[in-house]
Amino acid sequence: MLKGKVALVTGSSRGIGRAIALKLAEQGADVIVNFFRRRQAAEQTAKDIEGLGVTAKVIKANVGDPEKIGEMFDIIGSSFGRLDIFINNAASGLPRSALDLDTKGWDWTMDINAKAFLLCTQRAVRLMEGRGGKIVTVSSLGSHLVLPGYTAIGVSKAALEALTRYLAIELAAKGICVNAVAASLVTTEAGVLYARLAKEQLGEASPWQTTPAGRLVAPEDIANVVAFLCSEAAFMIRGQIIIVDGGTSLVPFGLMNKGG
Amino acid sequence: MSAVEETIKDIIVKIVHCDREVLTPTATFQDMKADSLDMVQVLVAIEDEFDIEIPDEDAQKFQNFSDFIAYVEARVAEKKGNA
Repeated sequence: MLKGKVALVTGSSRGIGRAIALKLAEQGADVIVNFFRRRQAAEQTAKDIEGLGVTAKVIKANVGDPEKIGEMFDIIGSSFGRLDIFINNAASGLPRSALDLDTKGWDWTMDINAKAFLLCTQRAVRLMEGRGGKIVTVSSLGSHLVLPGYTAIGVSKAALEALTRYLAIELAAKGICVNAVAASLVTTEAGVLYARLAKEQLGEASPWQTTPAGRLVAPEDIANVVAFLCSEAAFMIRGQIIIVDGGTSLVPFGLMNKGG
Repeated sequence: MSAVEETIKDIIVKIVHCDREVLTPTATFQDMKADSLDMVQVLVAIEDEFDIEIPDEDAQKFQNFSDFIAYVEARVAEKKGNA
């Protein structure tokens, strides 16, 4: 379905990014695996992608640094000459309440989670010019729900979602579809850690133990929706935030599993 | 004290805002009162300064400041050897 396409997935050494990279590769896309801190994991992802019969390229870049973003896209341009799919997945942030946030933590989170989406998209569009493309960003329920210790990340995700809408309209005429997928807690290394912290604070009342669908969201659940948004079947979906949460956001947390 | 060690101390003091005297061979990141963001920023600044790579898989193995210096010095020497 994506045979011959070139896809960049930021932050794809592990977790959701890795699952997305593998899913796109499974559908035939060549994949650029961007990572920041975990080279071995990134190389493993690339190896697994190549095992699916497509090309993988590993590029290290801190997407919070505009200069590194530029270098990454220079490499993509010289290696592939084009880009068909850009998945903005890389994210970071410290668990802090609003009053405990300092400017360093705020800037770090906003730079990686929100500003990078703008700067990467500006460069990605140059490589999509004249042919169209698909851009999907990974958001979270924390963009509009208040989650413990999630202030900066939640605000950055809200910015990301607003930017998704603006870009979707601005890039529509270029044949570029821009959408977002917003997840509840996903069973990644980071997600499991967050769930443990929440359980320590909230005990059995912690909402992050299951969903109305009967289990937590897995990275592959997000990857499936991202892959759909990258398909031609999703051509008329523009600027939408697709929630993948097993129904969590529809139910007041205290009443989880008590509906119906 | 090597030039590499001096530079690393400069970087840590600038990013973590700790006293230089804290940076003894047995000091840990906890002793420096560095949070996880400080640690990442220190690693990134050192990578940029020496044009080397310190993946998290390696960084997690450092027990103290002395381990860290030895690792960076080895990477810098390795890079010079390859140049």
